[in-house]
Amino acid sequence: MRCSRYGRLVSVGVAALLAATAIVLLWPRLAGPGGSAGADSVIVLRVANWGGPAVDPSFMKIEHEVLAEFERRHPGVTVRVENIPGRGQYVPKLLMTYVAGNPPDVMTLDASSAAVFIDNGLLADLMPTIRGDPAFRLDDFFPNVVDIARQGDRLYAIPSDFTPMVIVYNKRVFDEARRPYPRPGWTRSEFLETAQALTVRSPRRPAPLRYGFNFQKEMPLWFPWIWAGGSDVLSPDGRHAVGYLDAPATVETIGFLADLVRTHRVAPSLSESAAAGVDLFRTGRAAMTMTGHWSLIEYRVDKMDIGVAAVPTSGGGRVTVMYEAGLAISAASPHKEAAWEYIKYRVSTEVQKKVLASGLAISANKGVARSFAGDPVEDAFLEEVPYARRPWGSRVERYELVEDLGREMMEDILTGGVPARDAAARTARLIEAELERQ
Amino acid sequence: MSAERSNWRGYFFVAPATAYLLVFSLLPMAVAAWLSLHRWHLLRAEHPFVGLDNYAAALADPFFRTAFWNTLVFAGASVPLGMGFALAVALLVDQRLRGIGVFRTLFYVPAVSSGVAISMVWIWIFMPQDGLINSALRLAGFAGDTDFLGDTRFALAALVLMSMWGGLGPRMVIFLAGLQSVPPSLYEAAEIDGAGPWQRFRHITLPMLVPTTFFVLVTSTIAAFQLFTQVYVMTQGGPRRATDVVVYHIYKEAWHKFYLGSASAQSYLLFAALLVVSLIQFRLMRRQLKEAAEAWQ
Repeated sequence: MRCSRYGRLVSVGVAALLAATAIVLLWPRLAGPGGSAGADSVIVLRVANWGGPAVDPSFMKIEHEVLAEFERRHPGVTVRVENIPGRGQYVPKLLMTYVAGNPPDVMTLDASSAAVFIDNGLLADLMPTIRGDPAFRLDDFFPNVVDIARQGDRLYAIPSDFTPMVIVYNKRVFDEARRPYPRPGWTRSEFLETAQALTVRSPRRPAPLRYGFNFQKEMPLWFPWIWAGGSDVLSPDGRHAVGYLDAPATVETIGFLADLVRTHRVAPSLSESAAAGVDLFRTGRAAMTMTGHWSLIEYRVDKMDIGVAAVPTSGGGRVTVMYEAGLAISAASPHKEAAWEYIKYRVSTEVQKKVLASGLAISANKGVARSFAGDPVEDAFLEEVPYARRPWGSRVERYELVEDLGREMMEDILTGGVPARDAAARTARLIEAELERQ
Repeated sequence: MSAERSNWRGYFFVAPATAYLLVFSLLPMAVAAWLSLHRWHLLRAEHPFVGLDNYAAALADPFFRTAFWNTLVFAGASVPLGMGFALAVALLVDQRLRGIGVFRTLFYVPAVSSGVAISMVWIWIFMPQDGLINSALRLAGFAGDTDFLGDTRFALAALVLMSMWGGLGPRMVIFLAGLQSVPPSLYEAAEIDGAGPWQRFRHITLPMLVPTTFFVLVTSTIAAFQLFTQVYVMTQGGPRRATDVVVYHIYKEAWHKFYLGSASAQSYLLFAALLVVSLIQFRLMRRQLKEAAEAWQ
């Protein structure tokens, strides 16, 4: 009898636990889209982004102030920022929200992966909204940056900030070596000569004490050399790699970059880079590096005296790639008007000046970008803007896979000893197969 | 209380576990089987039936075959080494010493730590310049600048070393339980007959541990085939795919390339491989298990 009573008690307990779990899990649906019962008049605007320099408390303080001001000016709208941090996690996780039918209202669109969102119809065309809003002027933004998210006469994002890829050099090292700073339009052979002059070797150590250039294997960090060499990795329609990545001019560029490490020893090997464990340029062990505006945050903290130069040319003219962050509205968003107000606010002169004072990137808003002019480094970055092209990822849906295979190609050449021509031919075939895959 | 009511209560109690098994194991397995027969890209509207094409494509894919080979090498190295290490530690902590519980707890700590946290710690241990191993090598007079996780020759071995430590806790506890259930009378009898420590270990401990060893072998093999967290956190399959293992490959196929059909087919191929390996282990150990069962009786 005691056992039976005990059993009943446990049964009731388990049933109550199950019921409580069900209520907790189903509560958001029972409470409705507003998130809580009785809050129908409040719009919760979900904004997805990849985080930003969240480790910097002053940057986060500005972010909080900016959001609070938007909510103050738009009573009834609450902004819920959904950060998706983690290397390589932003695009897959964000896409999952679309597949699950629960996308954010506004998303930060990375130019490097914009195509997958645009081509699959996940974003709203903003042109009708722009035409109907006299308070917004698209002409205020750099036209080539705006074009990143343009497809025909449709526009899927308003650019917020961006950076052209450039060569950053340590002026102190140049001064010590009595080398002239790079001139605009410098060539690949001038670059090599400079890198050789800046490399400091020691008879007692196999590795140089200082490298002329900090080469890194990730494709976004070496890809502009290919354009500057007058070739490309994909065909103009973005559907073929064979005949492009393995073309003689491309192979020559890849070989040139590999030889910086293998033959000339003016750049660290991959294991030397890894062994250092830190940014060799930042620690003064490399005189030049290829990077974007985001690095300025750290260089300024370190009080480095730096200069900015264009990517050295070799038959391709003065050209580089730009990486950009735009703001887009999900096609399925029920709050498109509030989302548009939010985007306008974020790209406004007032907010851009506050947020980009950190040095994170260049504002796509021409007025704001020019307000930072006067500083030689900022001026040098701005000089590169007309030569900056949109990245392939804004046009080709699977370009992240191309970048993965490009990195592996460099590993094959630099650590596997595979000749550049063979590695490029193999990688071109692999990319072709990925692009053809249904 | 009638038998019928008693049955009802029994079903009620097993219902949560059954529901869990149905919803989170059997249903996904059935859906995955169905997906594996379709060309199913997450962002495409069309999902045509392709029969066994996904299986054939996976078997023909050199990268998948590389991942499979890496998994076999990892399992082939980490399982015997990990089991040997765990047995050695279990023998050490199977002593009547003051504070032995502290040692047992310390050795068990990795089992209750997060896989990601452990991986982060090992990244630091393997660091080329200031990592623990390289620092020790420098003290011993070596160059001490090996990029263990970035060098194709060492990357998989580094993961094996880490898994020996990471999987130590549960294996050690199971071996310890096995050791403590061996009747002391057997050791006493052997000692009277003049058997030394090695003979006692070889002819009493090891045979009596056969069922325990078999259990550890099967579970460790399954765990080795499912290696993912360490690869995801520490190497992302590199360098040059030297640590690309099957589960990581499947993850990339499903959540970076969005080919769920193909990823499901690869999952079933992994399942088939594990089944075959387990059956082989059962067959090889059958005689030893039978002898051990007789010895226990």
